[in-house]
Amino acid sequence: MRPFTYTQPKTIQEALKASAENTEAKYLGGGTNLVDLMKEEVERPSQIIEVADLDFDSISKNETGGYTLGAMLSNSETANHPDIRKNYPLLSMAMLSAATAQIRNMATNGGNLLQRTRCPYFFEVSMPCNKREPGSGCGALEGANSKHAIFGWSKSCVATHPSDMCVALAALEATVTLQKPDGTSRTIDFSDFHRLPGDQPEKDNTMLPGEIITAIDLPEPKFKSNYHYIKIRERSSYAFALISVAAAIKVSGGMITDVGLAMGGVAHKPWKLTDAEKFLIGKMPTTENFEQAATLALKGAQTLSENEYKIPMGKKAIVRALEQAMAKTA
Amino acid sequence: MNTDISIGTGNPIDRVEGRLKVMGLAKYASEFNVKNLAYAQGINSTIAKGKITAIDTSEAEKQKGVIKILTYKNADALKHYEEELPALSTSSIQPVLQSADVHYYGEYVGLVIAETFEQAQYAASLVKYTYSEEKPDIDFDKSRDKAYKPTEKSDYSRGDVAQGMAEADVTLEQTYNTPIEHHHPMELHAIIASWNNGDVQAYASQQIIDDATITIADTFQIDKKNVRVIAPFVGGGFGSKLHAKQHVILGVMASKQIGRPVQMTVTRNQMFTNTNLRQRNEQKIQVGAKSDGSLTALSHDTLSHTSTYEQFQESCGTVTKMLYKTPNNKVTHRLMPMNLQTPFAMRAPGEATGSFALESAMDEMAWKLKMDPVDFRVKNDTQVDPSSDKPFSSRLLNECLKLGAKEFGWENRPQEPGTKDEGNWLVGYGVSGASRRAPYQKTSAKVILELKDAKVHATIQMDATDIGTGSYTIIAQTASEYLNIPVEQVDVELGDSDFPKTPGSGGSWGAASFSNGARAACENAIAALEEKSGLKAADAGIAKLMQAGNLNSFEAVGTAEPDEEFKKHSVFSFGANFTEVWVDKDTGVFRIKRMLNVASCGKILNPKTAFGQIIGGCAMGAGMAIAEQTNVEPNYGNFITRSFADYHVPVNLDMANIDVLFLPEEDKIANKMGIKGVGELGITSVAASIANAIFNATGKRMRDLPITPEKLIMAEREPGVA
Repeated sequence: MRPFTYTQPKTIQEALKASAENTEAKYLGGGTNLVDLMKEEVERPSQIIEVADLDFDSISKNETGGYTLGAMLSNSETANHPDIRKNYPLLSMAMLSAATAQIRNMATNGGNLLQRTRCPYFFEVSMPCNKREPGSGCGALEGANSKHAIFGWSKSCVATHPSDMCVALAALEATVTLQKPDGTSRTIDFSDFHRLPGDQPEKDNTMLPGEIITAIDLPEPKFKSNYHYIKIRERSSYAFALISVAAAIKVSGGMITDVGLAMGGVAHKPWKLTDAEKFLIGKMPTTENFEQAATLALKGAQTLSENEYKIPMGKKAIVRALEQAMAKTA
Repeated sequence: MNTDISIGTGNPIDRVEGRLKVMGLAKYASEFNVKNLAYAQGINSTIAKGKITAIDTSEAEKQKGVIKILTYKNADALKHYEEELPALSTSSIQPVLQSADVHYYGEYVGLVIAETFEQAQYAASLVKYTYSEEKPDIDFDKSRDKAYKPTEKSDYSRGDVAQGMAEADVTLEQTYNTPIEHHHPMELHAIIASWNNGDVQAYASQQIIDDATITIADTFQIDKKNVRVIAPFVGGGFGSKLHAKQHVILGVMASKQIGRPVQMTVTRNQMFTNTNLRQRNEQKIQVGAKSDGSLTALSHDTLSHTSTYEQFQESCGTVTKMLYKTPNNKVTHRLMPMNLQTPFAMRAPGEATGSFALESAMDEMAWKLKMDPVDFRVKNDTQVDPSSDKPFSSRLLNECLKLGAKEFGWENRPQEPGTKDEGNWLVGYGVSGASRRAPYQKTSAKVILELKDAKVHATIQMDATDIGTGSYTIIAQTASEYLNIPVEQVDVELGDSDFPKTPGSGGSWGAASFSNGARAACENAIAALEEKSGLKAADAGIAKLMQAGNLNSFEAVGTAEPDEEFKKHSVFSFGANFTEVWVDKDTGVFRIKRMLNVASCGKILNPKTAFGQIIGGCAMGAGMAIAEQTNVEPNYGNFITRSFADYHVPVNLDMANIDVLFLPEEDKIANKMGIKGVGELGITSVAASIANAIFNATGKRMRDLPITPEKLIMAEREPGVA
């Protein structure tokens, strides 16, 4: 690992100032991803600014009737918080399927949004990777790509976003609040936070230099009872999703009146299944309709040389997630 | 060191060294306090084939704490292989940094020695290499035309397989694949080496102490007497520590070059690239049987890869030669040179992988024959090893199968695949038979007896190792039995080349060899004391014998080795594995619900440590089935699985409740104490048992390991499954 300096600001103003003064500095939350990447020399910050102890570590009610999740709160504290378990059980379920208990205890909510792809070409510095080293090429495009994207990829990058939490946040239509170096804030829709690779895969998201995530806001709770997060992976814990689906449904009078659907492991960002959602509104919650929604959801998928399996797996996962969500009705 | 008051073998006592381990007092190779220590970090090639054309060490040399940088340009000249493509053994030389040639991705191309580990690691990242790169041979399929017959003879044939297939009513020809796997013991490979005027002392994490001294001595062309290797505790090996790897040579070389002791620890990432691997095997099986289930032919052809500079073959066909009765049998092994490391023995080399092919094929045949897979195996039992015509010293495979079937509830197995379900899960049962050679090798031990307060305290010394298996405990129990003193009055000292020679830990020979060696030393001590005292130990007790001889201390050595009876027999452990799996109807996910392993391994010295060996083997076998694989990048030849985050071994949630039954047995032909190996039997055929259960649950025949969700979801049901 390279030598670096370590800064522990007491306030967010100090953190923003330190960051503005050094473009090679990185914020450190729980360090569960950044430190790994530093060991591998993928990330080479000259300065670490520790933000995990700043004030943004609580859960509170927001103006929309929803809740605000502090960016520096740990994944464990968030997922196990009584208000979250009660009002957003889909989010709890997705978060608790991620990584391991030890990692969740360290990982922060803001850090979860900012975790980098686990593409092996990104991790191995001797390999080509446009995300790590723009212009060096994409090793996975014609290489080992069985875990890679089927939606929204470009010839520059076929990597996927690894988060489980973000798949649930996409389904629940959260927002992200960012604070700028000048102290002002902006709030953006979750679907606008992460981006597709295009010809700039080095940019995972739409944050501007020096910005820091302070909060994630959830809208008024709508899906307290019919929800499910399915995560298909190679082992039962401590493995990233081959495919994951977050599903939440509201049924009234035998009809689906509201639905949130998003997929993980398929794109450079959590993949909101908008067409499938639209299709399901006003329909009956039957397996047949779920299957049609799944077919619609996978319509635009483009597979790579090794990931054809993601299409049948994706369809099955969507149907199963919706069925399981319905099965939760008492 | 221990607090157990029991006497003798057969008791499930706690590990005698367990307390040291949980208190962190058991020292592993990199934990010894050696004064004036420097640290070395290996540098790995970033191409798979080619030549180094330039090395720039200037930036690295400027860094704080850097003492020296070694490359092929300034490394010590080491002994070279005298023949082309030598077979890699547990005592082979390990030349390293001897030329500009690169043979595989991640090969050591340099070494930084610095005052601290961190300094060495950072400076290592700053050494710049320029290569002239060639297209590497990393494609299994494209290497087929280069396959050759290994120098070490392993082909075998009896009868005529073609004729046997022609005579069969039912036949099967199938290919089974197992991927590259890595050993990954928890303790990283490590050495602290001190070179002192031609004398070498090394704390090194090695399974076979004596062979490590040979590798060091021969590679540096010094006398073996000048090399001392110490490894009191080894945190797992699974075969990767049978042989002293290149880091051992690099550590010694670094110490020689800077005149200080040097510690070299292999990183987890380097455990993929620099401590060997289990190679990918493509196994073709042919089976023929009469409609009554009697086998008429069995053949097993294995194609695998080795490096471009050494040979290693895993004899996958071993199990096919001897497990079932058939007049016609053929086994072949072929190797292809590829730009990958030389493979080396990994837990049950040959059996773990070979049994996946054979026991899957047996299950396929049973289904074709419409026979119960337990009955089909029982039908083809043989009490004579058909590959050597020697009788088995004992063979209780049928007993393992029958007892297992009864205890597991085999009668509840769905007769037709895919007919039993629980909600979204399809339920299936699988079975497999297992065999593993139970070798026993010449072993010496010393016993030191001391009389204190009318009690005899014994210390056993041998260069044996405890790689987590329980060697300390079973040796203490053996000495306790033959001296007839409580285990708490026995100390065991292991892992030092100054102690009497043993074959070390590997090949499942440890328990039988170490215990019989300790027994021989104790028997010699008693015989000598009886002669001196004129008393009988059985009547008077060993303390009285020493008192009568006016002895406060006494030493004896003993050696045990296989006798004529052993050589006249074929000596194997046998077992059967039963698995219940639940396979998701849609998603490709499956769970192992429960597993029963029935083992026939001779006398069980300690049911607790033996149980640990079997369930560890089952977990490793489940790893083979579920997820373990090292993937080669198809264009560059590096491994894309490079840490425990992506080299998946089972987690607790993946694992079943594993139950183990040992058949009560003492095999006195195997050795005087009746012991046979346990360590490798547990992994053998577990993957087949799981794959067979998946077939029973789904009708899908999974012939390529590991059985990942992506493979399972894409697999079709076998033709003929309703």
